[in-house]
Amino acid sequence: MALKGLDIFKITPKTNCKECGNPTCMAFAMKVAQGAIPLEKCPHISAEVMAELSEATAPPMKTIKIGAGDKEFTLGGETVLARHEKTFVSKPLYAVSVCTGQSEEQKEKALSCLTAIDYERIGERMYVELIEVNDGTGDKDQFIELTKKALTYNRTLVLSTTNVETAKEALALCKDEKPVLNGATPDNYKEMNAVATEAGVVLGVCADTLDALYDTVAALEGLGNKNLILTVSDKSMKDAFAFAVQIRRAALKNNDRTFGYPSLVHVNRLAAGNHNMQTALASLFTAKYGSIIVMEEMTYSQALPLYGLRQNIFTDPQKPMKVEPGIYPLNGADENSICMTTVDFALTYFVVSGEIERSGVPVNLLISDAGGYSVLTAWAAGKLSASSIGKFFDEFEIEKKIKNRTLVLPGKVAVLKGEVEERLPNWNVVVGTNEAVELVKFLKEFKG
Amino acid sequence: MPFKSTPQPFKAAINAVTIGVGDKAMTIGGENVLPLYTFDAPIANPPKVGFEITDTGLELAIPGIAALYEGTSTIGERAKKAETLEGVDFISLKFAGADPNGENKSAEDCAAVAKEVASATSLPIVVEGCGNAEKDAALFEKVADALADRNVLFMSAKEENYKAVGAAVGLAYGQKVGAESSVDINLAKQLNVLLSQLGVKNENIAINPGSAAVGYGFEYVASTMERIKAAALSQNDTSLQMPIVTPVASEAFNVKEAVVSEEDMPEWGPAEQRGIDMEISTAVSAITYGSNAVILRHPESVKTVSSFVKAMTE
Amino acid sequence: MGKFIVIGERIHCISPAIRKAMDQKDPAPILKRAKEQLDAGADYLDVNIGPAEKGGEELMKWVVTLLQENFDNVPLCLDTANKKAIEAGISVYNRQKGKPIINSADAGDRIENIDLAAANDAICIALCSKSGVPADNDERMVYCQELLERGMGLGMDPSDLWFDPLFLVIKGMQDKQKDCLEAIHMFTEMGLNTTGGLSNISNGMPKDIRPIMDAAMVAMAMANGLNSAIVNPCDKRLMETIKSCDIIKDNCLYADSYLEI
Repeated sequence: MALKGLDIFKITPKTNCKECGNPTCMAFAMKVAQGAIPLEKCPHISAEVMAELSEATAPPMKTIKIGAGDKEFTLGGETVLARHEKTFVSKPLYAVSVCTGQSEEQKEKALSCLTAIDYERIGERMYVELIEVNDGTGDKDQFIELTKKALTYNRTLVLSTTNVETAKEALALCKDEKPVLNGATPDNYKEMNAVATEAGVVLGVCADTLDALYDTVAALEGLGNKNLILTVSDKSMKDAFAFAVQIRRAALKNNDRTFGYPSLVHVNRLAAGNHNMQTALASLFTAKYGSIIVMEEMTYSQALPLYGLRQNIFTDPQKPMKVEPGIYPLNGADENSICMTTVDFALTYFVVSGEIERSGVPVNLLISDAGGYSVLTAWAAGKLSASSIGKFFDEFEIEKKIKNRTLVLPGKVAVLKGEVEERLPNWNVVVGTNEAVELVKFLKEFKG
Repeated sequence: MPFKSTPQPFKAAINAVTIGVGDKAMTIGGENVLPLYTFDAPIANPPKVGFEITDTGLELAIPGIAALYEGTSTIGERAKKAETLEGVDFISLKFAGADPNGENKSAEDCAAVAKEVASATSLPIVVEGCGNAEKDAALFEKVADALADRNVLFMSAKEENYKAVGAAVGLAYGQKVGAESSVDINLAKQLNVLLSQLGVKNENIAINPGSAAVGYGFEYVASTMERIKAAALSQNDTSLQMPIVTPVASEAFNVKEAVVSEEDMPEWGPAEQRGIDMEISTAVSAITYGSNAVILRHPESVKTVSSFVKAMTE
Repeated sequence: MGKFIVIGERIHCISPAIRKAMDQKDPAPILKRAKEQLDAGADYLDVNIGPAEKGGEELMKWVVTLLQENFDNVPLCLDTANKKAIEAGISVYNRQKGKPIINSADAGDRIENIDLAAANDAICIALCSKSGVPADNDERMVYCQELLERGMGLGMDPSDLWFDPLFLVIKGMQDKQKDCLEAIHMFTEMGLNTTGGLSNISNGMPKDIRPIMDAAMVAMAMANGLNSAIVNPCDKRLMETIKSCDIIKDNCLYADSYLEI
């Protein structure tokens, strides 16, 4: 974050000695802020203050990497509190939790989603990225067994134990996979820090209050560890949210870098056994400031909204979401079903395909490359035209793949009808509806 | 050095708007902090949760809702049942059947339905139209007359019909006007200005600056609401200090994830639970970004979202 | 700082009607001017009671109470060379709608007004001049530094010092205008707030010229960061320019009716 001239002025001697070549300390501060001259030009600023200042110009929130190889993820590195200010850079990750002391059945139930949920949505793989292994009983051997079991699922792990020996042994099994060791507390942070540093893994820090968390992080930073994740309170939902927001706000708004780390939220503990409330909380922390969100399990019914929400919030506001061009057969459409076409803007695709699905009428939805714009914008930009549609038909060999010869155009580009007919002479070109909501009626009544 | 936790309330606040009458009247808005930021200052009025009843009974297709209404035969009886739901703050009566492209029920018929519902429940009532601007204006006028003593919120006045709706609902009957714009922050502001210029007082206006299910362009909804709250609170923009009411029900239950049957998508599991999770996720996200009230369809969602709000604000 | 802050300048003892009203403690003319300015969009009202060496304290208390009682605790800018009168005004001032502004301190005789602001948790306009017109921006920055240091030394938040570059009359000092804009730019780069008696630039110009000249100046100054000014809010052209600049600078959300609100 850039410093204002005022911040620099505050550390100058304010004597206007001119040794830096400027008439006043004020003028000097201003030029430093603009990057025109280095701060070192002032001979009266101590090395200590200089170091403090360079700390202050460092990014407000650290970027933390966890996992290894194709299971490596980046957390943190955010610079803004709201997505409209600038793009968020690191999407939150979801974890399911297993715990020693749980029945085998419970563990299996939690872990089953790791294979069950794995799908693609607008070019993004949707799956549960992490497993948290919890030390429920304090029994080391059980924890090691559970860690071994979790490792067979080929996910990056979060090892949650406050027992130093247990942590050491579990890390011996998997430290090259770069799991998170989540277990530093105000009481054990020195020992845990040694274990985490030795293994080269990220250390998770927890404490009951924001003050205690802050002090522990400061102490760990004092020991040279800046590779941390902060666990928010699991005392109550309200406290958890207060932690998450205040940690992020302190770092990004109030320039307090001690809290400039990603956060971990135990939704599984905040609403144990309550599926619906976990959906609610996972949504809350996806929207605001969770970096790792731990759930008891992840069902499909939870994954569908949560991954959709995450994809929405963590897209670049400057870049439209696009779906891949191609033939999308809906409602069991085959080569004899009619064709409809629209643009590749994800929102348009979803709304149009959703309405077609509601109609129950088999339709081949043809999506051509329109630059990710909505219908009218794409048309105005020349990205949805008779020639772009024609080109798409050639490239995807539509006439070979589909026998039906009816093509429905979006109502908003009715003007294209004549040109499309010219370009695709074998086709019966029909103008569809202006709005997607009218599609159900249109399709049900349509006699192609 | 301890953590400097500085509460950051704003000098400006969201307008407090009261809907309904008597003991069960509810007030939305009034807060001077970002949504759910109780650590900055107490939230004057926690977000409210409404349950949607449609005149056509379309929600009865969902087994869990049909079960709730077992033994009822009229909309009045349904409203009575709805009132007993855990966590419900208000009833939202939606006139889906008034759509000229659908059943095209007359405004008079709708007013009769509204009266029946109103006599069955003492909860605050929100009236949702069919979405057709012209029909809604006619419909709202009749319903505003029929429910003249109930201090009802009408959803909504849009760019196309704000004059008619504002004049009838807001001025003639002194009811509350919901101003709807579809994820366009400048239009959201403009509509509020126009309603004020028409003579509708700020404390009688709520807004719906657009809604969408999560995964379906919700980022636009989120950013629009965030920017509205930022302008209202940090810039003291009085044209945007109206509380936000978000109809979630029809968005959440209309997307593929909630609609596709289990037979078609066996791995997805039962459709009803998918609808519930979609509704909860969308409602909580909306509240997180600024909704002061949400309208829901499923009793399970009502229960979860209301206890979520309670836990977050009490 | 958000939206541009308009400080209405029209309650000034230089106006015969106002001076007479102040002498006779006649509320009507003062209330009339206040209402005109507030209706036109003023955020703060400047209250200039002149040197007021005699009876200043009592007069300031009277005006402050009069205006705040009649206009919902409208925030005020207290403008007089009489420090005791300013203190008296603050003693009856209601802060509900904003801190009082002291108009003004400079780097010369009136530097003690900063002490007064610090002691009373007030905003202080800090005029970057000592005696007369600063020769160049190096000199302005020296004064700026002196004023800033004094305020900060007394524990003031730098955002409560609103730096005034000293707007100069164009007829006579046309060649100094660019300096003034540059000074605003420099203050803004430093992270400081700025204000000033902007309409001074068009002094002596024909009446019909002044609005366009002031409007052009406010637009250019706002582009350089100016976030407040002491002006005549009843000048429609000027106010429309300020509102438009607020939209362009994203200080305020656009709506088609933005000029009407």
